[in-house]
Amino acid sequence: MAHGITAVGGYLPLLRLDRKAAARELSWSGLPMPRAGTRAVAGWDEDALTMAVEAARGLMADAPPAALRFASTSAYFTDRAQSAIAVDALALPRSTRSTDAANSRRAATGALLDALLGQASEIVTAGEKRRTQAGSAAQLAFGDGASAVRTGPDAAARLAGHATLSHDLIDRYASQDHPASYAYEERFVRDVAVAELLVPAIKAACADAGIAPSALAHAACAEPVAATWKAVARALGCPASNHCESVTAHAGDLGAAHALYGLGLAFAAAQPGDFVLLVGFGSGVDALVFEVLAPVPGAVDMAAGLSAGQPLTSYSRFLNLAGSVDLDWGMRSEFEQKAQATVLERIGRDMIGFVGGRDSLGNVQFPKSPMPVNPALDKPEVLEDVRLAELEATIVSVTADRLNYTPDPPFDFGLVQFDNGARVLMEMVDRPDGGFAVGQRVRMRLRIKSQNPRLGFRTYFWKAAPLARPQLGEA
Amino acid sequence: MAAGIRDKVAIVGMGCTRFGERWDVGADGLMVEAFAEALADAGIERARIDAAWVGNALDDINVGNSALPAAHALRLDKVPVTRVENMCATGTEALRGAAYAVASGAVDVALAIGVEKLKDTGYGGLPLRTKGVQNDLWMPYGSAPGTFAQLAGAYAARHGVDAGDLKRAMAHVSWKSHQNGALSPKAHLRGAVDMDKILNAPLIADPLGLFDCCGVSDGAAAAIVTTPEIARALGKADPVTIKAIQLSASNGWEMQFGQWDGASVPNTRAAAARAYAEAGIRDPRAELDLTEVHDCFSITELVIMEDLGLSDDGRAPADIMDGRYDREGAIPCQLDGGLKCFGHPVGASGLRMAYEVYNQLQGRAGERQRAKADFGLTHNLGGSPFNSVAAVAILGRLN
Repeated sequence: MAHGITAVGGYLPLLRLDRKAAARELSWSGLPMPRAGTRAVAGWDEDALTMAVEAARGLMADAPPAALRFASTSAYFTDRAQSAIAVDALALPRSTRSTDAANSRRAATGALLDALLGQASEIVTAGEKRRTQAGSAAQLAFGDGASAVRTGPDAAARLAGHATLSHDLIDRYASQDHPASYAYEERFVRDVAVAELLVPAIKAACADAGIAPSALAHAACAEPVAATWKAVARALGCPASNHCESVTAHAGDLGAAHALYGLGLAFAAAQPGDFVLLVGFGSGVDALVFEVLAPVPGAVDMAAGLSAGQPLTSYSRFLNLAGSVDLDWGMRSEFEQKAQATVLERIGRDMIGFVGGRDSLGNVQFPKSPMPVNPALDKPEVLEDVRLAELEATIVSVTADRLNYTPDPPFDFGLVQFDNGARVLMEMVDRPDGGFAVGQRVRMRLRIKSQNPRLGFRTYFWKAAPLARPQLGEA
Repeated sequence: MAAGIRDKVAIVGMGCTRFGERWDVGADGLMVEAFAEALADAGIERARIDAAWVGNALDDINVGNSALPAAHALRLDKVPVTRVENMCATGTEALRGAAYAVASGAVDVALAIGVEKLKDTGYGGLPLRTKGVQNDLWMPYGSAPGTFAQLAGAYAARHGVDAGDLKRAMAHVSWKSHQNGALSPKAHLRGAVDMDKILNAPLIADPLGLFDCCGVSDGAAAAIVTTPEIARALGKADPVTIKAIQLSASNGWEMQFGQWDGASVPNTRAAAARAYAEAGIRDPRAELDLTEVHDCFSITELVIMEDLGLSDDGRAPADIMDGRYDREGAIPCQLDGGLKCFGHPVGASGLRMAYEVYNQLQGRAGERQRAKADFGLTHNLGGSPFNSVAAVAILGRLN
């Protein structure tokens, strides 16, 4: 069987901001704003890593991948590999090769191309939560989210052709001194991107695949600015619709994760035998042509993910979540935690992997302990690893704590009971409209547990979330 | 079961500061205030103190680690002083240490003193602290009302109680304590509050509103304990004695093992059962004349009434609404206003409870005096419902 893409996965945060409502808040300023569609907004405790892990969770298959590649332009750590953290979060063997790809929105497509050319079983996962400035068009145009691809044998889509152009076209940039994205004039970007980068690269990829651009049935082209694909398609005589436009409309420009999310939507719409174009853009172009061999696992779920979520109606809450306002949260917010490397080395893998332990009588507990919590046991024993991250649980007790500091009140937490016996005091996230209730079933989500901005460090743990998300109305 | 310490230890002197926002005084001044009253009450000199136990739960808030802050404040000269900390049960833990020292014969006269200076935090509620670098990696940072609020939902689910009915019973708990606090000269909160105000207060942690939460206060309380023989020699013909002190601590079962329903505090039940046995109390509903319990939150007091066996399981809301625990009820609870209104300087609270029972047993409780006061119970709870230390003490008269 062909080597190629075996499955895809995506993750979008719960909240969606109506761009029109947000733009209305700024109408007095006269600043140009995108007004159509919605933008996916990450929780305070989500970042590029947590979302990339969420996107990759469905890609574990029967055997672990040989490598995990993480791609982002907004990764929190600059000298600590997110991919290595993800290996532990996904409970993959430590023999898994791990690589971070960064500094370009094209990082994910480049990583995917490398994975495909290497003919190995790999996971490429991209997450993005980019810093933006209030008042910028980018703040409403961008979105937070993640997408992932599994490669390997027995593929549902094979790489038929590809081409890459490295071209330092500065449509926008971010830097250490200007971490929020700085954009240049759209007409300049569109004209040059179409003529000098996209059309030549796509032509070359189609030629490599032995097809004409007109034979492409679907496209997932990350556009540097709106209407780029329209110009590209006209120039190429390509009738394919660009599924990245749906991602932009419903969730926003996901940066490094954008093209792969569009690819998931394209796969969801494609039939076996169709050719699908994937284009990553940023400091050049990666163009990949896939032949669809079978329905691609995970693609339909990615499409469904666009329409599930919860409207975010407060613009000031959005500004807070986006880090664009610095609210005075009072003295309680001054409390500071410092994580210790020694402790993380000792038990960090059980924490970020949410690994509990099964005792000799079969009861599972978290965290593990030298002496089991099971009252029927009275001697120390070594507990067998049991991963709780993929299991459901039931709320035993819960409250919405309005005294405790959290960047996005209230602070929901309580005891949750796993069916295997484990009981864990947990934070709860993705709060439903009516709040959480005793007896409610929950699933686990990887989130930031604590952050220490002064020391530039954060820790990760799992939090309980409702099993399903509500459906959004028409935006 | 061991014979216990029933009637082996007498309380000969107690002191308690006014609780509240004591901007005027530091932890040392609070300790001196309580200690001076206890010495005067006992009618002894400082030099008679053979050993001391100081209870202080939140050492980083202007008291300091170890025994030294108390030794310095009280100028205890080369006396063995031990600092104890067991979260909100710290006050009773200090009393337990002093009582055990006397009961064992190791010392003749011992001091238990508890103190907390919470209003130097700069904000309301208890101060935030790390849970340890290991637990910090996974354990949520809920506030105290956040942890105890969870009793309410679990209780309602366990007993099928309507949320509105439960909220009204909780409000009655707070209403009653405000009524009592108004008669308590040393209480932090001395104003009566009507039910509507309690029910409509802003939420702190669902379903606890502002008036479901106790006051966070500065304060200190102290007890001087000795043998009954020495007590008599000091002129206490019928001294107050300790009938029982029992303590129970979670081993992780509630929050890690899947059997607890979240609607009770098992450590309270364990400590109470042992305390009743130690004190020889067979029917607490008939034999106890008053209780001072750890009403950090209204729902806590409601659940405690069942955990102490004073209400049947699932019946506490009805008993509360019937007035059983009101000032004129069958078993009044929090005659001094409780944590709710007298206040909650953490390390002092267990001793403050004993102070009220001690005064009631001697007919010295002024307007709050209970006509019959032979046995009184204190219940001091540290931690959270799912990870607790519960201490139960029973006081009575020697004769």
